[in-house]
Amino acid sequence: MKALFRLNHYYWEYKHLFIPGLLCTIASAIFLVLVPIVVREIIDSIPRFVELYNVFEGTDAQGQIFNLFSTGLLLFAGVIVGLSLASGFFSFLMRQTVVVASRHIEYDLRNRLYDHLQRLSPKFYRDFTTGDVITRSTDDIEKVRRYVGPAIMYITRAIVVVVTAITVMFIISPTLTLYALLPMPLLAISIFFVARMVHKRSEALQRQYSTVTTRVQEALTGIRVLKSYTREDAENEAFQEESARYRARQLDLAWVDSAWRPILLLLVGASQVIVVWMGGRLVMDGVITIGNIAEYLIYVQMMTWPVASLGFVITMVQRASASMERLNELFDTQPEICDGPQTDHSITELEGAIAFENVGYRYENGEEWALKDISFEVPAGSMLAVVGRTGAGKSTLIDLIPRLIDPTEGEVRIDGHDVRTIPLDTLRSATGYVPQDVFLFSDTVGNNITFGVTDVEDQALRRAAREADLLENIEEFPDGFETFVGERGITLSGGQKQRSTIARAIIRRSPILLLDDALSAVDTETETTILNHLRAHAGKRTIVIVSHRISAVQEADHIIVLEKGRMLQQGTHDELLEEGGLYKDLHEKQLLQKQIEAL
Amino acid sequence: MATTTQHTNGQAPEEKQERTFDAGLLRRIVSYLLPYKSWVVLAFFLVLIAAVLGPVQPWLIQIAIDDYIVQGDYDGLLLIIALLAAALFLEGTLGFVNNYLTQWIGQHAIYDLRTTVFEHIQKQPLGFFDKTPIGRLITRATSDVESISDVLSQGVVTILGDLFKLIFIAAFMFYLNWMLAIVTLMVMPLMVWVTFWFRRKVSSQYRETRKQVARLNSFMQEHVTGMPIVQLFNREQEEMRRFRDINNAHRQAHINTIFYFALFWPAVSIVSDVALGLVLWVGGVAAMADAVTLGVLVAFIQYARRFFEPIRNLSDQYNTLLSGMAGAERVFGLLDKDYSLEETEDPEPMNGIDGRIEFRDVWFTYDEMPEDGTEPNWILKGVSFSIEPGETVAIVGATGAGKTTLINLLLRFYDIQHGEILVDGVDVRNYRLRDLRRHLGLVLQDVFLFSGSVERNLTLGDEAIDPDDVRRAVQAIGAEPFIERLPDGYQQDVRERGASLSHGQRQLMAFARAMLYDPKLLVLDEATSSVDTETEAVMQDALDKVMEGRTCLVIAHRLSTVREADKILVMHRGELREQGTHSELLKQDGLYRKLYEFQYKEQERRKLTSSSGHESLEGA
Repeated sequence: MKALFRLNHYYWEYKHLFIPGLLCTIASAIFLVLVPIVVREIIDSIPRFVELYNVFEGTDAQGQIFNLFSTGLLLFAGVIVGLSLASGFFSFLMRQTVVVASRHIEYDLRNRLYDHLQRLSPKFYRDFTTGDVITRSTDDIEKVRRYVGPAIMYITRAIVVVVTAITVMFIISPTLTLYALLPMPLLAISIFFVARMVHKRSEALQRQYSTVTTRVQEALTGIRVLKSYTREDAENEAFQEESARYRARQLDLAWVDSAWRPILLLLVGASQVIVVWMGGRLVMDGVITIGNIAEYLIYVQMMTWPVASLGFVITMVQRASASMERLNELFDTQPEICDGPQTDHSITELEGAIAFENVGYRYENGEEWALKDISFEVPAGSMLAVVGRTGAGKSTLIDLIPRLIDPTEGEVRIDGHDVRTIPLDTLRSATGYVPQDVFLFSDTVGNNITFGVTDVEDQALRRAAREADLLENIEEFPDGFETFVGERGITLSGGQKQRSTIARAIIRRSPILLLDDALSAVDTETETTILNHLRAHAGKRTIVIVSHRISAVQEADHIIVLEKGRMLQQGTHDELLEEGGLYKDLHEKQLLQKQIEAL
Repeated sequence: MATTTQHTNGQAPEEKQERTFDAGLLRRIVSYLLPYKSWVVLAFFLVLIAAVLGPVQPWLIQIAIDDYIVQGDYDGLLLIIALLAAALFLEGTLGFVNNYLTQWIGQHAIYDLRTTVFEHIQKQPLGFFDKTPIGRLITRATSDVESISDVLSQGVVTILGDLFKLIFIAAFMFYLNWMLAIVTLMVMPLMVWVTFWFRRKVSSQYRETRKQVARLNSFMQEHVTGMPIVQLFNREQEEMRRFRDINNAHRQAHINTIFYFALFWPAVSIVSDVALGLVLWVGGVAAMADAVTLGVLVAFIQYARRFFEPIRNLSDQYNTLLSGMAGAERVFGLLDKDYSLEETEDPEPMNGIDGRIEFRDVWFTYDEMPEDGTEPNWILKGVSFSIEPGETVAIVGATGAGKTTLINLLLRFYDIQHGEILVDGVDVRNYRLRDLRRHLGLVLQDVFLFSGSVERNLTLGDEAIDPDDVRRAVQAIGAEPFIERLPDGYQQDVRERGASLSHGQRQLMAFARAMLYDPKLLVLDEATSSVDTETEAVMQDALDKVMEGRTCLVIAHRLSTVREADKILVMHRGELREQGTHSELLKQDGLYRKLYEFQYKEQERRKLTSSSGHESLEGA
């Protein structure tokens, strides 16, 4: 419950909606409660009028009385419709304010959450799965919203309807009221319990549903194994078992779910039967009228939903509270990598001289060092290449430069400043980064390339695309730069995607360019073209290139060979070839590969 | 990860479209109820009774008022009250029984459909899975089937129940007073119109809302995944702005929906209050003429409020029907197409095999054969070779040479376009698929593990396999030490976080799996990725153990395998370029020699470098 207190300021913020909304709720409920009174008046007036009518039996006045009465009735009927309209009008306003306000709060909450997510460091995204974050930003926020709006609305309406209806009923006959309301607490309680059971069982059902889904997914992903061991029949049986279990969960749920309406029906019906029974006795005793019975019948029905909703509201609040706790867990996570007291805001521009000094990096809980004792210097404007086998620590090394991660020990410096003292915005503006895993947004090719720049001219866009050897491809696309990538548009080839990410980094014209195995999906010819374009900027830009292909790195000013997180060799291409060892092996192997390809 | 993306990809283009009513489709859905027809008949009968029990209550109240309360007959009132209570109780009970019964019928029918769909998908050949995204198939077997579920469980029976209820309400009203009945029913078209107007508006609004929710979700999905890119490219502000836009459209869609709901609920009570007003006015006037009693008036007040519910239910059910039909169309579309490989009508018996394999001029492509007679993209071009029982044959070649295809064809995952593949002198197409595959063991490079225990992954759920045999196989392979180190041993869930197995361990499990099934003919795709020296030794032993006494066809990545093979097949661009033993081929100084130097020779060198690397580090 405490978790929900954090939402209180939102009520205040949207008081211009909540206050009128709650007033409308009250108004609507009061007009609603007036209707049965009019019904009673009409019914009770009938015998009296009939009596009066009979008194004037045979006189001219009888016709007039008839007309009078019939007009009177019409008027009464008009009052009923009028009250109904008034109640309806306010109930319309009630939803348009309170429920709408809950949507505004949902909107604010979700914006705040996304804003917060944008500040969190990669570690957070390793700890929380994408699915989890999305569930929290959708389902959990929705559950909280139901508490903020609908729950408050229902409870207000319920209280007003119940209190006014009971007051009116009590004035008429305290005894009958007590009898008629006997089943009501039972209604609220049983709704609460049924709602809880339904919730529990639908969760069990959901779990089994995902088991079934997983089963299908696995069977289809592993279809080759199943087929080669002729396990299809066995898998069918296993699937039937899971399906049967799913059916059982469905029927568990159906058992309580089927009780919903009958419970409402029985308890409300019970109240009505009691009204006719006890009310009938009271009418016989002359304490109340038949009109009162009709009135009570309507009241009892009118109270059904508000009373039942009390049962729902309790579960709504419980769930909202659990959801809010889950949301707070995200809100309370502090970004690890951010500007802080150590930040030197006087650093606004960087030239791009990179230095590593005894840098070591270890993943949380990891025992082995992913990087250890890494020291080197790259003068601004030169090109550094990092080679090594898969898992040697190449990506880790490159991630330290734009502070995707911070070193466990040692220091990474740019222009002599420890990167941790450089304002994050400055640091990242100064780097163009091409990640190993190609990631494009579902947007146009053009927008993907200009992702990291504002107000870019057409000319610059074309130039970046040309340098990434992508311009020709784009011009062949139906809509050129306006072509959508991904699900909604065309499917780019692996190489085209990768070249788009290169263009995205190039267009920033930043002093540092980081390429993390960024040419793996293009052929050697394209690789050469792109590298030539990059080299044209020699002296203007520091380039760090990670590759497992020697051809991509051989012209670098300096090459580092990594193996198991350690620097095994370093030097220029020629020096390393002369030295022999891993670098030379890799080089020879790639020459052979070329020969085989050529066969 | 790959499968989840596929999943969303598979779903995206087929958002539930609007469907029109299709009687033929409905008939086909309903045909799944046939096995339960006596239960369906019972449900109809119960629904019919329940439909009377509701509307009978206002009538009983009328009798109570007119005949007993007004007359002051308390004993008579008690009798009516008893009847009323009985009717109510019975209505409630029947309502419960009915809900459950219809669910029961529906869930059984849907179980039949779901298992049929799954069986059908599983029966399809690998070519089918190459072409169809798995995500789409999962959707068919789960959520599409689920959408039909509502039609089967509530649809038909409930629709009839609500229709009956309307009829009975009308009948009782006419029985009590035809004039008031007509007055009340006059409002009914208005009610129907309001309900269906609302349904139409809201369902188009729901579509909009769903679209916005999907947009919001895919934005979140994309940005949570690509957050480093957003941060590295300083795009936080711009992305925040875009998120706000999407979030705003999402909010607006919901607010629009609220508008219709805000209008609908009051409209319903206004319409029924109009009915109430009319009843009281006309009824009151008639009462003066003694044509209507007070009891009748009270009863009509009840009826005026009662006929709204069945109308609303009907409009809900209509919607369920439509969305069920959209799902049904896709599910039946899948069931109606069967691509499974043709099984011979007169299969060769296969009780144990010798293990002789022969490929005779095999031509194969994964594509459809072009109809215009042009040459397709051949993956294998005239491949011929033979393997004698007990031989170990290694296939080598660069990526894309057609190595895996050879294996796929031997197991008859695909049918060839030209030539013959013979096992023990019989064309594989003349065996029953299950016989053929039962005698061939396949160990793939990328070992697929199913969620569940180690044991389940070894036996693949075959309960006939003795646990002692499992242990023996594991011991023989040398996988016992690592399995016993797992917290739950053989019962360890292999997919559980933190306990995921290394590549080498997965391989060992696959070997143990093959040992358990004890095939005469082993088809193996060796792992390429390097493992540490200790595991390497274990793997080598395991491999020797598995290959012992069997005919083996191996896509070789290890030096020792090619060296010891009885024969090496050198594949290049779909052709068998060279064959012979290791030393023969090396002498030829052709393609094999290059491949050897490229792929295998490094394995020798790697050992040297890694040890020298160690030394230099230690020296430093």
